[in-house]
Parts: sequence; structure tokens; C-alpha cells
Amino acid sequence: MKELKLMKGNEALAEAAIRCGCDAYFGYPITPQSEVLEYLSMEAHSRTGMLVLQAESEVAAINMIYGAAGTGKKVMTTSSSPGISLMQEGISYIACAELPCVLANVVRGGPGLGTIQPSQGDYFQAVKGGGHGDYKLIVLAPSTVQEMVDFVKLAFNLAFKWRNPVMILTDGALGQMMEKVELFPQEERTFEPLPWATTGKPKSRERNFITSLHMQADAMEEINRHLQAKYKKIEEEETMFEEYMCDDAEYILTAYGLVARICQKAAQLAREKGIKVGVFRPKTVFPFPTGQLAKLAGKVKGILDVEMNAGQMVEDVRLAVNGKIPVEFHGRMGGVIPSPEEVLHKLEEKFVGGKA
Amino acid sequence: MSNTIDTTQVKLTPKDFASGQDVRWCPGCGDYSILAQVQRVLPELGIPKEQIIWISGIGCSSRFPYYMGTYGFHTIHGRAAAIATGVKVSRPELSVWVATGDGDMMSIGGNHFIHTCRKNVDLKILLFNNRIYGLTKGQYSPTSEVGLISKSTPYGSVDYPFNPLSLALGSGATFVARAADNDPKHMQEMIKRAAEHKGTAFLEILQNCVIFNDGAYDAITGKENRTDKMLYLKHNQPMTFGKDNSKGIKLDGFKPVVIDLNDGVHSANDCWIHDETDHDAARSFILAHMTDHPELPVPFGVVRQEYKTTYDQAVSNQIAAVTEKRGKGDLQKILRGGNTWEIA
Ligand code: SF4
Repeated sequence: MKELKLMKGNEALAEAAIRCGCDAYFGYPITPQSEVLEYLSMEAHSRTGMLVLQAESEVAAINMIYGAAGTGKKVMTTSSSPGISLMQEGISYIACAELPCVLANVVRGGPGLGTIQPSQGDYFQAVKGGGHGDYKLIVLAPSTVQEMVDFVKLAFNLAFKWRNPVMILTDGALGQMMEKVELFPQEERTFEPLPWATTGKPKSRERNFITSLHMQADAMEEINRHLQAKYKKIEEEETMFEEYMCDDAEYILTAYGLVARICQKAAQLAREKGIKVGVFRPKTVFPFPTGQLAKLAGKVKGILDVEMNAGQMVEDVRLAVNGKIPVEFHGRMGGVIPSPEEVLHKLEEKFVGGKA
Repeated sequence: MSNTIDTTQVKLTPKDFASGQDVRWCPGCGDYSILAQVQRVLPELGIPKEQIIWISGIGCSSRFPYYMGTYGFHTIHGRAAAIATGVKVSRPELSVWVATGDGDMMSIGGNHFIHTCRKNVDLKILLFNNRIYGLTKGQYSPTSEVGLISKSTPYGSVDYPFNPLSLALGSGATFVARAADNDPKHMQEMIKRAAEHKGTAFLEILQNCVIFNDGAYDAITGKENRTDKMLYLKHNQPMTFGKDNSKGIKLDGFKPVVIDLNDGVHSANDCWIHDETDHDAARSFILAHMTDHPELPVPFGVVRQEYKTTYDQAVSNQIAAVTEKRGKGDLQKILRGGNTWEIA
């Protein structure tokens, strides 16, 4: 029987973590996502014996993740923009050390302390590195509370499959929004000693030693080559996207997360006026669905990219489209959510009645 | 850079130190009292408003600079002490104040706090200690008592709290004091003393968060308990407390014990005489740790004060000394100097 529940996005993240058999959560309070820590503190212990720890800062939290991930356990942290900024050093080290973990960024308006309202201002940080060095996170962008649930499970699978940190890139509105979700059944917390984890040294192999330091440049280049090859395979195998009314579309709206839903509404409004509009939504923003978007670009007249920032994913859209058709941008910043009418108006202004 | 604060007589009133912004703490919050006492004391210092700056991190306490009619700086969670250090060494003539809380300064900002104290940067740090995270709505903090039920510890917290006074002493703060939000007169005195100190002045203020940790200090500062639980320290005076000062603290070796001054055996002469400038810091720690023993009263007042060269002063002195020795720098000379490399 289906298990349906009305849940807040933040609670959904927490509930899904428990059901995945997550072993430990390390976090620090920050609005608008403190509910994850609170929900887990209340629920997790008794249900699965999962450990929930309030760290003394986000810096401490990510380093606890680093340590716990090294033991081969399923670990997770969540935060919101300023807190995720604090974690960047640790994330870079974890990526280089190739340890699996799940992170969620419930993004709020920035830069600086900004607002506690929703934003997509951290796209670059999540997708283009964030910390130092050439590394990639796998970045999942849910657009519904249901996907908040599903992507936690997916994130753990991908993290262990690729030995890579996986980030769920969401926002304050999805975190606070209540929607009906279908929950997957509780999975058992299992622990298999993994060959790379700090689980002692059997006779059969060398001891495991976790580090991201390699003094020789050529050795470090080798590590980099290995990482890049891995990222390339991730691009080939894990790219996910959704097309909405794209088959006969003349114009495409590109958007991720919550904004994609606003764009779907805008597309409906456009079609009522006889303008054939579709929506292309990357579900993974790294890997970005470059090839799929390029294909689509061959069939339409123009793209309007819509984001809650000053224009970040639009760069990936333009790279994919590669000049074939015009790509315009509309964004709201600082915690302001665009309305479907506003998106439609922009589309008409830029394309239909406008220059293209 | 001059290192002295210009105190040319300016007549200011508490009103001058209000920013005019609506104060937005919860009704009944202890922070209101702190704001009022600070605004009452600052005019007495004779420092022009434009030479005072209030710096904060993030938290309920950190809204403080919005309400002060001085320069203000609302900064990064936990980082106020580091930012204040930057301000002080750049503009040593300013009177630099930090408003912070237990989450902000004892948790995420712990590292900056200990190093500021260690360096003896001339800052006044007011710690609004309510033993809870207020702004994020009620998670336990590093000063929460073991077993505290909070949003993030629904079954009780398991880790031990910091003793802020002990932490400040251990880190080398040169002025360490405690006040309570419900004793405004005494708090004013402490703020004044902190203001007059040169070096890192640390004032812990027990502050009630009516919403998420109401009554955290009732057992100490509550109406029924305060006479027996609050010990007001006075320099060079015997430590006495209780109704009509009928009780005293005697130092038995390293152990503070309560004595009855009316028992016909003990008198004020048996009491520990408080010495703020005690050359032996061990005794300051004993005072700070009296909170560990429920049978003892909690000390309020200046636990310790010592004078050492401040960091900002030392830096200025060094720059002056080196400049005098080596002469003023000459960029051309450096460019033509020997430390160059050729890349093959
Ligand atoms: S939450 Fe607590 S500390 Fe914050 S303003 Fe309200 S009463 Fe004061």
C-alpha cells in the first residue's frame, strides 16, 4: 500500500534520510532549514539508531562528515547558503579523497547574510566547484517535495556508486512548502566494510590511507586525470532532465527546481494565447543535460532561461545551444520569486512581439 | 595613528545613543535591559558617538548595533571578534564594542574568541548568555546545561557546557566580569568598568530568553533566590552575601566554602578578600568555577583585571620602532633590490 503524507520539504529531506538507512547526520542551525536537524533529532534515534549531532559550526559539521564518510558509513549534512559557503574547504577535500556523502543546500537569498527567502544564487557554487581545485559534485535539483524525498535516496546511491559527494540543490521555498508525498518503505541500516574505508587492514591489501595531499605535481596530475575521467563517465551515465510540452514547441523556457514549475504554468498561459512554449528542466545540473538541450535547440526559435539569480545556469544553457538560436535570460534576485505572468511577459517581450 | 581616544568633553544623553530603529526583540527579552544600560552608560564616558563602533555577528544579540546611534557593523556568524580586531588595529583611536551571544561567540566563534583574548586586543566584548539559540528558534547552545530539552535535543543534550568566564580567563582576557539582565545598576557599573579597561574586556551578561529558555537563571537571579545565590564581588572587600550579608565565602586551601557570619565562630575577617588583580590566576579560576558547585553562590562583578600591553598598541609600537630603525620604505629601492629571479 502507498504511504502518503503531507510534508514540508525540509521534513521530507529528513524523513527520506531515515528511510534510506542513513547512519549519521551532522548539522548546524540555520534558517530556512533548521527543521531538518530538528526533525531528525526527534525521529531518527528511536527509529533506526541513526546518529544526529549538532556541530559547533558548519565547518565542524562538514569535517565530521569527512571523518564519518571515511569510515564507509552513510552520512549527510544540510545547510543553507552561508553555511554551505563555510563548508567549501571540506567539500573540496572530500571530493579529492573520493568519499561518498550527501549534502543539501536549502538556498536563500545572498550574497552575504542576504535574506531567508528562496533563491538560486548558489548554482555556480554548487555546479562549478565552490571550493578550490578541479572537482565536481553530482548536483540534483528537485522541483517538488516528492523529489526532495526521491532525490535523497538517489543521492545516496550515486554517492556510493561514484564515491563522490552529491548535493541536493534546493531552495527556501521548497524547504518550507508542504506537499503530499509518497514515501518509500524503510530500508535497513546495513554496513558492508568497503575496500576503501577505514575498516582495518586485511592481509589481502595495503592499508587504507585517506589524503588529498600529493607532493609531486605529476602524481597530483594523475589524481586529477582520474577524477576528470570519473566526471566524464558521470556525465555519460547520470544526466537527468524533464521535457514539458517540448514536442511541438517554438520557444523553450529553461529552468531548474521550483522555477521550472513556475515556467510550466507560464507555458500553459502562453499556449492559451496560441504561443507554443515548452519547458526544459535539468534534474541534474551537474551533469548538465548539454546534449539533450542542444538537440532541442535545433528545433525551436529561441530559449528564455529563467532563474532566481542574476543569470547562472544560463551560461550552461548557452554553452549547450552554442549560438544556434538566441538565448535570453530573466531572473529575480535576493529572495524574490518570479510569477508565471511575469515569465510569459518576458517571453513575449524578448521573442514573440520583440526582436527575434 | 594616535592610540588615544579623544575625550574632549561632549555632553550626550542616552537618547543620543538610540538609532531610532524599532527594537525588534520579543517582548520581555533580557536584551532590552542590556540595550538600556549601555545607552545609559555610554554618555558618561565622554566619548563622541562617532568614535564608538558596535560590531556583532549573527543571533538575537547581534541585532544590537541596529539600535545603537553609533557606528555599526552587523557581520558574519561567529566572526565579530575577528572583524572587530580588524577595525581596532586599523583605527586604534576608536572605542570598539562587540555584542554577541553564546551561540555566536562560544560555538562557531569560539576560535576567534580565544585568540582575541590571547592577543589582548583592546575590545569590549558583551556576551549575552541565554544558553540557547534564539534566532534559529530554540536549539541548544554550548552554554546549555546538560540534559536541556531543546528543538535539536528533544531527549536532552548530552554534552557539557562551556563556562564562559573560565574560557575567557584561560584564553588570557585581561578583564573578566559577570552581570545579570535583571540587575541594571550593577550591569551599568560593569559596562563602565569594561569601557575603562584597556585590553580585551569580557563581560558575560546572564540574559533571559523568554521564548525558548525562559527562567534559565531563576535559580540564581530570581526574586526568591538572588539574596542567597548572588555574590557581588568588590575589590579588596570580604566576600559576603545572603540576607544582611550574614554569610561569607572562606577559602579553605583551594576550596571555597560558605561560612555563617552569625554563628559566633566566624566573622568577616575569615572571608576571602576579593582581589581583582590577584597575581595568582588560579584564584580567579576558583571564582569562575563556583558555578560548578550548587551549594555555592554565583559571583557577579569583576573577577579579574590585569594590565598588559594591548595587541593594537604593540603593533603600533612595532611599526614605529621598525620605521625608526630602517627608515621609511622606498619602493624604487625595493624594486631595484637583490631579491629578483630570472625565469629561464
Ligand atoms: S528569541 Fe529569546 S533571545 Fe531572541 S529576542 Fe526572543 S526572547 Fe530574546
